[in-house]
Amino acid sequence: MNKLMHKRIADALNITVRQVCLILVSLVLASIFLGVSGYEPLAIVKGIINGLSSDIAGTVRWAAPLILAGLAICVTYKAEVFNLGVDGQLYMGAAAGTAVALVLPEGLNKAVSLVIVFLAAMIAGALFAMIPALLKVYLDTNEVVSTLLLNFIAVLFIEYLVNGPMMDRTAGTNLNASEVLPENTWLPRISFFEPSSANIGFYIAVVVMIVIAFLFYKTTLGHEIKMVGSNPVLARYAGMKPKKTILQVMAISGAIAGMIGAIEVTAVQHRLLTGFNPDFGFDGIVVSLLANNNPIGVVFSGIFFGSLKNGGINMERLTDVPSAVTEIVMAIIIVTISAKFVLPRLKARAAKVKKGGE
Amino acid sequence: MELAVEMLNISKFYPGVVANDDVSLAVAKGEILGLIGENGAGKSTMMNILYGMSKPDLGLIKVHGEEVKIDSPNTAIKLGIGMVHQHFMLMPNLTVLQNIILGKAPVKNGLIDVKAAKSKIQEIMDTYNLPVNLDERIYQLSVGEKQRVEIIKSLYRGANILIMDEPTAVLTPTETDKLLEVMRQLKNQGCAIIFITHKLREVMAITDQIVVMRKGVVTGSLATTEANTELLSNYMVGREVDLKIPGEVYRPGCAILEVDNVSALNQRGLPALHGVSLEVREGEVVGIAGVEGNGQTELIEAVSGMIRPTGGQVKFHGKDVTDEPVRSRREAGMSHIPEDRLGTGTAKNCSIRDNLILNRYYQRPYSKHSIMDNKKLMDLADDLCRDFQVKTPDSARALSTLSGGNMQKVVFAREMEADPSLLIAAQPTRGVDIGAIESIHRKIIEARDKRKGVLLVSAELDEILSLADRILVMYEGEIMAEFKRGEADERKIAEYMTGAKRQGGDENE
Repeated sequence: MNKLMHKRIADALNITVRQVCLILVSLVLASIFLGVSGYEPLAIVKGIINGLSSDIAGTVRWAAPLILAGLAICVTYKAEVFNLGVDGQLYMGAAAGTAVALVLPEGLNKAVSLVIVFLAAMIAGALFAMIPALLKVYLDTNEVVSTLLLNFIAVLFIEYLVNGPMMDRTAGTNLNASEVLPENTWLPRISFFEPSSANIGFYIAVVVMIVIAFLFYKTTLGHEIKMVGSNPVLARYAGMKPKKTILQVMAISGAIAGMIGAIEVTAVQHRLLTGFNPDFGFDGIVVSLLANNNPIGVVFSGIFFGSLKNGGINMERLTDVPSAVTEIVMAIIIVTISAKFVLPRLKARAAKVKKGGE
Repeated sequence: MELAVEMLNISKFYPGVVANDDVSLAVAKGEILGLIGENGAGKSTMMNILYGMSKPDLGLIKVHGEEVKIDSPNTAIKLGIGMVHQHFMLMPNLTVLQNIILGKAPVKNGLIDVKAAKSKIQEIMDTYNLPVNLDERIYQLSVGEKQRVEIIKSLYRGANILIMDEPTAVLTPTETDKLLEVMRQLKNQGCAIIFITHKLREVMAITDQIVVMRKGVVTGSLATTEANTELLSNYMVGREVDLKIPGEVYRPGCAILEVDNVSALNQRGLPALHGVSLEVREGEVVGIAGVEGNGQTELIEAVSGMIRPTGGQVKFHGKDVTDEPVRSRREAGMSHIPEDRLGTGTAKNCSIRDNLILNRYYQRPYSKHSIMDNKKLMDLADDLCRDFQVKTPDSARALSTLSGGNMQKVVFAREMEADPSLLIAAQPTRGVDIGAIESIHRKIIEARDKRKGVLLVSAELDEILSLADRILVMYEGEIMAEFKRGEADERKIAEYMTGAKRQGGDENE
């Protein structure tokens, strides 16, 4: 093994230890919060332990979309682009996937149908991501704002679809959803975990992680993404095309987001409906942040947040602790991770004040 | 005449640098003092001290004969000191009036008394002949008008001592003339002005007294009537030429780079390069001398492909490359050592390796079908670190762990490894230690002796004089003069680079 790998492993270990400490700190803080509010203090910890042992099926179910969302974020983050529009791209992917699934011939082979559905979803997600990307590249529009606002458009567009052109008219009642997808487009669930909705989306997520890791560390595009993210002037000076790179990462990110939509529709909901997405896109930011934007780390942090989400849902079902507590834990994690950026600055300032006072 | 400001024996130390060493200057009421010197000579530090933005370590300041302690710009303003910054301190979305009265508005019944403010400002504008439309918003104004607003703002605050930090750097020639007129007006009304510049023509035209600084010390202090541009250039540059690296006999071959009548805009969108033509041949070093900010950056960016010229043509090996992208120029044999090592030349958070492979990462044999061979790239980086003596235990370390000189070695290694036929080197020795300077100079001469063309841009005149076979002097985006090696000395070049003279043109302009 070469020294580069040694360094990478050492770095990864370092970061892992640090992030695990952050998680522990967050859990302690969250438990204190629960205790003070009069709930069972260890509920959240128990939820996570359950999620990683007896109830691992639920964790697997939630981990898949969270890992993919984390990957969608970390791809763009490497290029210093911020895609807050994963949710919108995901909805668009779900819509396109559903539309295609509903028109595919009934007898078509399952694998072929799924590949077509997924491709449609990925293309839709990527195209929707192209809107803010092109605006950024050609008009210098801040992508944080444009991606965020496009989410609302996507949500309303889905509402229009399921109340209009794609509404299930056979249901009789006013169900705001599309028709149920034909069975040959259902993404298989993992039989081991039946009757949970844990599905092979988890495997897809792991494969996508491997592809992204390969992209980052082995391809010329990966090197370009790194350079554009570190110093765009240098990238231009070295003959790269930062604008093209930004379009590429946004397309990749949008495609991954579209994939989440396809998984949720074909494996879990089996139809397009409004509000099926519990803000995976924003959770993806936390997933990627906790993994230090490392694609391999994203799998682990995705599983952690999956267990947290699953634990939160169970907690609400079995105890009187509201599932919103999981969001509080996420918030605490964000704050503790941000401390990484704030603490050195505070230290520097303290040192300066001390020096100035002498 | 009564002295308005005296700064006596001022010293200011920064870690490892003496910014000002025992500097004294004085300016009387109704007098203009020119403070001149090259970049980094310590002019701005002196003025920041006077305006209360930094504190002197030694020395004292007297205003109107009384010793004062200026600990903040507020104190300075109370003492009647105003500063017109090179970069304007104005709120672009507010009106001229709002900007002027900001923080010092006349109040009547708890409201801003716009009428009183307007009449007071009108009085100032009439007295000093400074017309501006008070209701216009700042972003609608031209640069010259913004500057006028700055001056009015200072006067409104009761300034009678004005510091003007390179006020003409951003102005067109007509605007400059207008500004000089305003300065004369202010002087006649009894204001004291400290005028910072490095343009000798303006200094000779308007000042009464001149203080010349170089490397933190005063090298000359004299009345304008006793000064001439040659003398001032001498004080500004001063050093003797030494450091000669022996190269082969000068035998220029055919032209590698032909720049024909190229014009370009700077980052602010103003014309910065006016129809420059030049040629670099095989086996020669062409040196561009000039004070920074006179179009050198734009020239290099137009040649290397970072910006598109607004006019003219760039030919490389006889082929028109004016609209070619950076990469195709690089592949055709152009290498570029940028003037801003950290901003343009490197990514400091990436590894040394990542920085070294930029020219090769996508090429065979280092990469096939867009997949990089990390082993080969790492060997390449390690070889370069060894050949160019980059002091690091491991090329996988972050670039930021290196010193400035070693970072420059990384840039040099990367650019020389591409085996260029043309090397563009901008400020190649800025901020590096003596040892690194020597090795960089040797590499440049080596490249020349290997029949490559070198375009060298440097603010260090002795660097140009010791390396260049031909010297072009740039001033305000034009080439003022051309010399062969040995035809000119520092003093002669300094006259052209400050715009005091122009070859073949009006010598007295």
